[in-house]
Amino acid sequence: MEQPGKKTLASVVVFLGALVILVPFYMILVNSFKGIRESALFGMGLPSEWNFDNYKEVFDKGNILRGFKNSFLISGLVVVCVTLFASMAAFVIQRRDDRFMRTAYLTFIMGLIVPVSIVPTIRLMGDLHIRGTYFSLVMYYTAVLLPFAVFLLVGFMKQIPRELDEAALLEGCGYFRLYWRIVLPLLVTVLVTVTIVVMVSVWNDFFGPFYLMTDSTKWTIVLQIFNFVSLYNTNWGIVFAFMVIVIAPILLVYLLLQRYIIDGLTAGSVKG
Amino acid sequence: MERRKYPIYFSFPALSVFLLFFIAPTLIGVYYSFTDWNVNADSIRFIGLDNYKALFGEPRLGKALSNTLIFAAAVTLLQNAVGLGLALLMNEAIRMRNLYRTVFFMPYVIAPIVIGYVFRAIYHPEHGIVNEALGWIGLGSLGQDWLNDPKWALFSIIVTDIWRVAGFAMVVYLAGLQFIPKDLTESASIDGAGYWRRFRHIVFPLLAASFTVNVLLSVIGSMKVFEMVMVLTDGGPGYTTEVFYTYIRSTFSLGQMGYSTAINLVLFVLVTVVGVPVLMALKKREVEM
Repeated sequence: MEQPGKKTLASVVVFLGALVILVPFYMILVNSFKGIRESALFGMGLPSEWNFDNYKEVFDKGNILRGFKNSFLISGLVVVCVTLFASMAAFVIQRRDDRFMRTAYLTFIMGLIVPVSIVPTIRLMGDLHIRGTYFSLVMYYTAVLLPFAVFLLVGFMKQIPRELDEAALLEGCGYFRLYWRIVLPLLVTVLVTVTIVVMVSVWNDFFGPFYLMTDSTKWTIVLQIFNFVSLYNTNWGIVFAFMVIVIAPILLVYLLLQRYIIDGLTAGSVKG
Repeated sequence: MERRKYPIYFSFPALSVFLLFFIAPTLIGVYYSFTDWNVNADSIRFIGLDNYKALFGEPRLGKALSNTLIFAAAVTLLQNAVGLGLALLMNEAIRMRNLYRTVFFMPYVIAPIVIGYVFRAIYHPEHGIVNEALGWIGLGSLGQDWLNDPKWALFSIIVTDIWRVAGFAMVVYLAGLQFIPKDLTESASIDGAGYWRRFRHIVFPLLAASFTVNVLLSVIGSMKVFEMVMVLTDGGPGYTTEVFYTYIRSTFSLGQMGYSTAINLVLFVLVTVVGVPVLMALKKREVEM
């Protein structure tokens, strides 16, 4: 593509594409400062009168902080469980490579594809007397996300030479120390990828808490939005203000760490 | 070093959580799908195939099935077409490529339910941007009530999801394009190969890995679509945009637990039947490479 004309055309198309992505974000932002009537017109112009009451209303009624705290707590705990359990499993699955481990591995792979059976999951949580607890949601997400993490980590375990294990074991190092002090540090880059994928998946998920969390004080921010919109769907200004508050921190983190986040989310899939 | 000495119990935390909270509900589900489990009844009775007989007698299942498949096929096709197109354009040494990459990927980190709500505003028949924009360019007559018109509702949901995920495919393709040596395409160009021929015979085969990953993720992910449809149309108007998970949700809300478990199981079979061959193809290619 040496001709400058084609290059310009490419630039124009890409620019228009970027506008298609950005305009909805702009629409949310500008309309979040408008009153009930003006915001319902979804206009692109600046507000005729800047209205900050929408934000005040959301902070007063939306239980924003509680939602953020729950999302953070749950996704953080899932990150710990998934990275720890998956790396331990991947370590022995790849190193032993016997019939039991292959079966375990295949079972995890199936979990990559098939959908969860949600109604029986609710029942199981009830039978275990953990229904509606943070613990139940953390275990649900851990189970759902383990297959991907195991798959990814087993792939990377292959790149860690066995000679390293042999040298360490000859020195009298135990298997736990081998895992904790030698293998785990070598998996750090992959674990960052796993962490990013887990954080983004859990933070944005609606399905899990919608079915499993009955107690509104334990709702994540995504469920909080759902509930809020059901109550305020006649006032778009307030709904948009809520969206800005929910989206802004995510976009901030995304823009700061975009390199890692984009690479993590896509590498997670390319290798997985 | 002996392989068998690696302690097997290292796999137990992962295996036990996975077996208890993923596999067990799936197996329990098989049993409950043969019962009349209902929150409004005190006891659960085994009713054999009655749920499935009722289910397959309902046109609604057919709608959920065809919509889920249409949605999955359309999203897979369009996400890859748009993503690949964007990646090829971006590969043309466009200025501010990293900025564009960041912008196109942005929707992927936002919760789908939020995107659903935003697009409810965007598709608004009177004031939404889509109809307004059509008016600006003189095509106002093409305006529709996108989400309430049975002809357009599913299409509008598909477009929303493409908006969300096209950037993801683009980034994967763009990464793949970086591995194609420049002199390979250049020498082909000198030999007189046109753009299309270079793309077909050099670029695309080298993008095969990116392609398979994108297709696999699209196919499997899009069959499990839920909140996007729930927020935009909730399966309506009528059942014209019903997908499996909205169907499960509405029977669940009615307390028909056994019945909704049966629907879940049909989805399970569908995803397995479609997903496993795609996964096998991926595995097979990995071996060949």
